[in-house]
Amino acid sequence: MLEVRALTKRFGGLTAVSEVSFAIAKGEIVGIFGPNGSGKTTLLNLIAGLARPSTGEIVWKGTDIAGWQAHEIAATGLVKTFQNPQLFSELTALEHLLIAGHLALKRRMGWRRLATLFGREQISVDERARAVLALCRLESAREARAAELSYGEEKMLGVAMGLMCDPELLLLDEPASGLGAEEIESLENVLRDLKREGMTLCVIDHKVGFLRKLADRAISLHHGAKIAEGTPEEVLSNPDVVTAYLGRAHAAI
Amino acid sequence: MTRLAGTLVIAALLAALPLATQSDFVLTILVFAFLQGMVAVSFNLVFGYAGQLSMFHAAAFGIAAYATHLFMQHLGVGYWGGVLLGATLVAAISVVVGAICFRFRLREFYFAVVTLAFSEMARLTVLNWNSMTNGSLGINLQEKATLWIPGMGVTRIESTVGWYYLALAALGLTLLACWRLVHSWMGRAFAAIRLNDELGDTLGINVFRYKLVAFVAGSVMAAFAGSLYAYFLGSLEPGYLSIDQSLGIIAMVLLGGRSAVAAPVVGALVLTALPHLINFSAEVRSMVYGAILIFTILVMPQGIYGTFAQLLRRRHA
Repeated sequence: MLEVRALTKRFGGLTAVSEVSFAIAKGEIVGIFGPNGSGKTTLLNLIAGLARPSTGEIVWKGTDIAGWQAHEIAATGLVKTFQNPQLFSELTALEHLLIAGHLALKRRMGWRRLATLFGREQISVDERARAVLALCRLESAREARAAELSYGEEKMLGVAMGLMCDPELLLLDEPASGLGAEEIESLENVLRDLKREGMTLCVIDHKVGFLRKLADRAISLHHGAKIAEGTPEEVLSNPDVVTAYLGRAHAAI
Repeated sequence: MTRLAGTLVIAALLAALPLATQSDFVLTILVFAFLQGMVAVSFNLVFGYAGQLSMFHAAAFGIAAYATHLFMQHLGVGYWGGVLLGATLVAAISVVVGAICFRFRLREFYFAVVTLAFSEMARLTVLNWNSMTNGSLGINLQEKATLWIPGMGVTRIESTVGWYYLALAALGLTLLACWRLVHSWMGRAFAAIRLNDELGDTLGINVFRYKLVAFVAGSVMAAFAGSLYAYFLGSLEPGYLSIDQSLGIIAMVLLGGRSAVAAPVVGALVLTALPHLINFSAEVRSMVYGAILIFTILVMPQGIYGTFAQLLRRRHA
């Protein structure tokens, strides 16, 4: 479904992502692990079009999308959420989802949606929004403004907005960071529900924890390069990964 | 429902007003206020809803005013032909100006400065193209606005009452158009652009396209206002395109409010009527004007409309 080939991003002299290659198949949950600064977020930004790759290919459903703009990539069903919740400050949770319904509406109606501006046709993305709110356990926050949400709700709203785009592959940038144990459990349940619905997910996690049970496959990055790939258990017990996380001294013990 | 009822009552009262007063003074002020209101409402579409501080709005207003006259004179079209061609010209220019600004991702202050530069280019062109525009002296318009009225055929609009209804209808149409846009999926795209365009981008909203749509739509509405204003006043002058005009438009929106489609009309009414109601000398007037604006921004950041709406909501709650 997605195939990343020798993807590289250099910022001046710094190589943030170095020759990374991996593939994601339909229906999989792929976890990307790595310590801070290992290039995880940059990798996802490159795939989602928020940054331009220096070299390499990103083949999505048979097309190389490297260098496309973010909105064009989102329109093809490849959607990313942010690590630090990005919201529309003064709007309610429901309004966020209605805005995020833009693509679904565009796909459903095409240019005919212009006719709705003259009031000939009523359109509604409300039903989908209600379903997504339920799926993400956000029903109670429906009318709450972004500023009134808890951190966990803010992050979940980010996931919910991504889902409103009807993605085929959802890229989640550290959805668990900063969450309490209960919120993480709730997030796990949401991701499990998504998997059951056949959604393909690529999830970044810095803390090695909740993805261990959830991911079908894991990739580990260090200094921008891929150092391990396999099942989560294989990757987490890989000596290079242990060294990257804990440093050489601890690894020796 | 109550909002619709309120709107209809206000519309009916305004439509009935000439029955109550034939005063040329009152009606003239209201015509100016309605046309300025049109400018302010359309500016708020670009600024308040899509979040782009355009300094090109007065230029759109002035270019259309001049263009209407020039098209009528040189192409021999009628008044409304001139108005439509003027609006088309403004649309074309706005597409170019907007595309340049938004392609280079100019935001906030930088967008304001570059649109101001384009606006100055337009003003200097009008000022120096003597053979067409008569430069700084301006033009006294000999031709009159006409309107086809059922049962009367094509009629010149000369009475103040005639202009009152024309301006009221034009303002009404502008409000309706903006209301429909803002409360549609496109209005939601505008909100996304204003509040967080990077997020909008990742959600699949073509930020460039919707910024351009808002900018061009707002400019075209200002163009219609400019063509009407010039023919009500009966003259053209380069001052139409000046930075003072742009600042005046911003003042109307800040004073009236940004949060509702009709809010800027309140600002337009106050700022248009005030100079006529209070007989200060010019220097004192500017100071009073400035003081009111500073007071509003500091004490009522939501503008007159927004503040009253909030008071009403609180009473109901």
